Amino acid sequence: MLNDEKHTNADKWLVDMLKSEPNFVLPDNFADRMAEKMSRKFAWSLYLHEFAIYAGAILGVIAVLAAVHIFLAGADWKSWTKFAGENIEIVVSTAFLLFFVLFTDRVLLRYFMHRSKIDSV
Amino acid sequence: MDDAALVQQILNGNSNAFRFLVAKHQRLVLHVVGRIVQRQEDVEDICQEVFMKVYSKIGKFRGESKLSTWIARIAYNTSISYLRKEDRDELSYDERPALVAGETDESTHRQPLENVEVKKYLMLKIEELPVQYRTVLTLFHLEQFSYREIEEITGMPEGTIKSYLSRARKILKEKLEKVAEIEKTNIFTEYA
Repeated sequence: MLNDEKHTNADKWLVDMLKSEPNFVLPDNFADRMAEKMSRKFAWSLYLHEFAIYAGAILGVIAVLAAVHIFLAGADWKSWTKFAGENIEIVVSTAFLLFFVLFTDRVLLRYFMHRSKIDSV
Repeated sequence: MDDAALVQQILNGNSNAFRFLVAKHQRLVLHVVGRIVQRQEDVEDICQEVFMKVYSKIGKFRGESKLSTWIARIAYNTSISYLRKEDRDELSYDERPALVAGETDESTHRQPLENVEVKKYLMLKIEELPVQYRTVLTLFHLEQFSYREIEEITGMPEGTIKSYLSRARKILKEKLEKVAEIEKTNIFTEYA
């Protein structure tokens, strides 16, 4: 009888102890810091997505203009490829500059402004 | 706010919704990560990793299970990956983990413990259990998940979960009774 009681008490003690909190802690501002990280990540992916749309639109416009010139206006595409081949450095650097300016404007500047806004808050 | 609405708010970029989600589930993640990893210096980094994974994958949450179960599964998988990277030996999923099979507990032969220290002693004993035992004990007793939910989180079959729980409780109870015997008092009087 006494032994049974001892077992029951041990069980209750054990269950109670298993429900007690382990000794691990997180900082008080953990949720705020995670929300900040999430906000930065969201802003970065949003700006990058917008940049991709702009870049796609610019490439699309160039492709349409080229198609109109070649198929409707009867432009000679061979002379175009010859020009591009002879001036490859200028063509590549112009395209790079264009996309770099677009990337800086649509992604980098906006992201850093967003970060500084969060940091100031 | 229900889980679906909260998820939608987060997908829309609402950082306050994510703050709410973290605040609501950080205790669960801390318990799962803490009990598996058991290193305070790494716990915070792993918890951060868990919540960033939650954010990255939240678009894939279909509401087939509770959000807490889904988050606990990410916490469990992240912690287990961490242990694997650390190359710890305790990750075997044997039916009888090494610590339990034929173990002798030297610590119970030392001088009697003060009653107030018994609880602390048993917390240490939980930390010495194999990782599978600690995980199921935490999920079942501390977080009150059902067997089905623990199966979803850990991927262990229900029978294995029940068996681990029962063995873990048995081991701890035996240790508790040994301490009571050494003390030669009834340490459970407050429950009489």
